[in-house]
Amino acid sequence: MPATLSLTSSPRALNTETWLQRLIVAGGLCFLLAALLMPLLTMLVKSLQNAAGEFAGLSNFIEYFSNPALTRSILNSLNIAFWTTVIVVSTAFVFAYALTRSGMVAKRGFRLLSMLPLFAPSLLPALSMIYLFGNQGILRDWLPVDSIYGPVGIVMGLSFWAFPHALMILITAFSNSDARLYEAARSMKTPSWRVFLTVTLPSVRYGLINTIFVIFTLTITDFGVAKVIGGQYNVLATDIYKQVVGQQNFQMGAVVSVILLLPALISFAVERRVQRQQSAQLSSRAVPMTPQKSPLRDALLALFCALVCGFLLLVIGMAVYASFITFWPYNMALSFNNYRFDMMDGGGWASYFNSLQMSAWTAFIGTAIVFLIAYMSEKIKPMPLARRLLQLLAMLPMAVPGIVLGLAYIFFFNHPQNPFNAIYGTMFILVLNTLVHFYTVCHLTAVTSLKQIDSEFEAVSASLKVPFYTTLRRVTLPLALPSVLDISVYLFVNAMTTVSAVVFLYSSETTLASVAVMHMDEAGDIAPAAAMAVLLMLTSLVAKGLHWLISHQILQRTQRWRQR
Amino acid sequence: MNTPTPYLRIQHLRKSFGSFIALDDISLEIKEGEFICFLGPSGCGKTTLLRAIAGLEQQEQGRIVQAGQDISTLPPQQRDFGIVFQSYALFPNLTVSENIAYGLANMRLPRRERRQRVEALLEQIHLPGIGDKFPGQLSGGQQQRVALARALATEPGLLLLDEPLSALDARVRLHLRNEICALQRKFGITTIMVTHDQDEALTMADRIVVMDHGRIAQVGTPEEVYRQPATEFVARFVGSMNLMPAEVLDHCSLMLGSREVKVPMTLPVCERGTLGFRPECAQLQSAPFGLSSDHNLVLQARLDHVHFMGAFVRLEMMLDEELPPIHMDLPVEQMSSLKPSVGESLWLSVPREALKFYPAESPGHGEVLPRSIEADLPQDMAAMQVTGA
Ligand SMILES: Nc1ncnc2c1ncn2[C@@H]1O[C@H](COP(=O)(O)OP(=O)(O)OP(=O)(O)O)[C@@H](O)[C@H]1O
Ligand SMILES: [Mg+2]
Repeated sequence: MPATLSLTSSPRALNTETWLQRLIVAGGLCFLLAALLMPLLTMLVKSLQNAAGEFAGLSNFIEYFSNPALTRSILNSLNIAFWTTVIVVSTAFVFAYALTRSGMVAKRGFRLLSMLPLFAPSLLPALSMIYLFGNQGILRDWLPVDSIYGPVGIVMGLSFWAFPHALMILITAFSNSDARLYEAARSMKTPSWRVFLTVTLPSVRYGLINTIFVIFTLTITDFGVAKVIGGQYNVLATDIYKQVVGQQNFQMGAVVSVILLLPALISFAVERRVQRQQSAQLSSRAVPMTPQKSPLRDALLALFCALVCGFLLLVIGMAVYASFITFWPYNMALSFNNYRFDMMDGGGWASYFNSLQMSAWTAFIGTAIVFLIAYMSEKIKPMPLARRLLQLLAMLPMAVPGIVLGLAYIFFFNHPQNPFNAIYGTMFILVLNTLVHFYTVCHLTAVTSLKQIDSEFEAVSASLKVPFYTTLRRVTLPLALPSVLDISVYLFVNAMTTVSAVVFLYSSETTLASVAVMHMDEAGDIAPAAAMAVLLMLTSLVAKGLHWLISHQILQRTQRWRQR
Repeated sequence: MNTPTPYLRIQHLRKSFGSFIALDDISLEIKEGEFICFLGPSGCGKTTLLRAIAGLEQQEQGRIVQAGQDISTLPPQQRDFGIVFQSYALFPNLTVSENIAYGLANMRLPRRERRQRVEALLEQIHLPGIGDKFPGQLSGGQQQRVALARALATEPGLLLLDEPLSALDARVRLHLRNEICALQRKFGITTIMVTHDQDEALTMADRIVVMDHGRIAQVGTPEEVYRQPATEFVARFVGSMNLMPAEVLDHCSLMLGSREVKVPMTLPVCERGTLGFRPECAQLQSAPFGLSSDHNLVLQARLDHVHFMGAFVRLEMMLDEELPPIHMDLPVEQMSSLKPSVGESLWLSVPREALKFYPAESPGHGEVLPRSIEADLPQDMAAMQVTGA
């Protein structure tokens, strides 16, 4: 009798825990469906409707392709993406090689400087270009083409902004080297150019291909740089903006979005494939190599790195300098006049504080959501299919350009029948949109760190009858704390600097600083725009500094167990 | 004490991963307080079976009954077991004490009692005073014992160990074998240990479950498994064994390579099979006299190599070019009194009790040696007379 009693009572007890897990997985799934997939699908449907909202088949697309003024942008976008990719990848390749494989001096310094563009809004290099090479630019005469407003300006601005992204991937690729291969090659008296072709290049092959696709995706989808310095040179991302904001032609905006989504999706798919192969490439017993000194080569590489960093510093320095000039080029006295944002378009200081608030929320809520979903998809047993879907959806935002996501949000959340309609025009939709836009990298960071945690912890706690959330709180979270901090600072910095994702979604109460930069530039207030961009960069750097302080000081005190 | 009903009963358990069958119709009964070892080569399903018992893998078919309760579909939280993994899975950010007390927290024990229990366990694993250290500061063997203490702290009815010693070096491993056995006896806890190390299984277990390709090949005490391997697989896997392919001629004679051999046993009706005996069961004879072929298998073979192994000497003998060399182990003293030299032809005998014959599983499948090969054999080998005088 007691046996039957315990049999009937036990399944109910199990359920609190399993049900909680199911609830969270289902919640995560709903979140990604509602905040990502449904808006995109709505946009897809919109592209097939006419202005009255009736199904119109492919007529929008036919209209688009019969208009050469519009289709030109496809070629323009490809052109920009191609040249930026060539320049950025080749420069970053040499730079990464110098940092990892040479005996060059000042590697740390070069590395730190090369990361600076990550903290600037993409509008900043574009504004700098105006001051450097614009009609009244200080280096105007050096420019080989007529005007900086156009493809040359876009490519230069994008190169600045995309450089650290390429560098990070390539440094990782170069670091995964196997010294034994080099020793074997040397013992066979292989000339160094052959070593480079037969050992070095193959070992970074996947990283290189990966970088090419990442940079191509980043640049073909960029909005900010082209917006500021594109002039008459239209690209797909600015076309969407012009169709929607300029002409109120939402259908055509949707059509261009679908077209822009295609190359991004393709290059994303290729990149994922490559990534999967790369992980299998390096054997676990590889011996990391220590770089050898070679005076001439090292000096040349140092010169190269100095030139690259010089360019990065020039761009940043120019923006900073220009932001303090009272009235370029007539009154070159230094002042804080440009920082009196309340006198300008774009929402003034309020927009800066809105940005701070929005970024803080994104970092805070976003990190919690990202970590919880990553935990559920990695460490929990029930609902394997739902968890697979969760992982798949988490990878998708990487391939969705910010401006496309923003437009999709208009279609989805502004729909009168949408129950979430109320969030339209609030801070919440900005937070949601920004989080989803930058979701993939955060998810991957969380998953990577969770994978490094012993997969048997959950089994052990189950055997000890400790519920999973206790182990999550007491063990898993403390172990993953460094990557949790990484995620939050990544979200904060990107929320501070992003333009494309939020440009359609702010309201008069929720103007944002990065959008204000754009509006001030549109209104011809280039110096205040530069000032705001500099302020944003400074804020991001402070956030990063705080992050560094926390991870190095507090972690060291609370995580005594990390020391042996 | 011995209850007639087993503590753990596994019935017709089946588990597959996709099309791969990891566990195939596993049935097993384990008595209370027994120390069981799952032994088998890598990938044979030992871990899968252990995890199914723990509820960490869900079987497709079959029942598991523990202490009279059907636990087949219960999640791990609801089952009564403690587990130690190969990686130990100690929580690195908690101290040793916190690790051991991890499962005690929700047993609503007063704090003082909890601490006492942890102290007592640390005492029992012979590591008093390390409670405030972190796992990263301990050696592998110490971590292992802490993981054991953590699993025992909640006093589970069943202890599961998945290759608990395989990450340790040989010396520590030997020491911990004894310690685990001592703890197991002291707690009287029913224990299942997975291992692919036969020495571990033979020295530690009350009963061994030998597994092969998701099936149970044999269940028995270490002595039974060693002395009476039920199948050729078990014979090959546990200890070393001379195994010679043979063709059955009639109920008491075989073809071993090119020679006809009379065996002191009744052979089953089949075409081919494998004849086997352990190296230490063979005796070296200076002459084939005085040995009854009714009780012994008598063979003549050429001594090829002598390997000094420390306590004993292993002789490598060539019976027939077509057959693998026969090994026999001799105590060093016997070796020095007999002084066989390499190349010499020697007689060896194997008592009937030590002989095993395993019929081939699919008759007719193995290729039959063409008779003509005999003609090519070296004259002296072919001419050898094998049966006893
Ligand atoms: N989650 C899984 N998915 C697919 N196949 C699996 C999974 N787990 C185990 N297997 C397969 O089941 C078989 C048995 O695995 P198991 O881990 O039980 O082997 P084992 O006997 O413990 O081996 P080892 O001594 O190497 O630990 C293996 O062939 C393995 O590849
Ligand atoms: Mg195993």
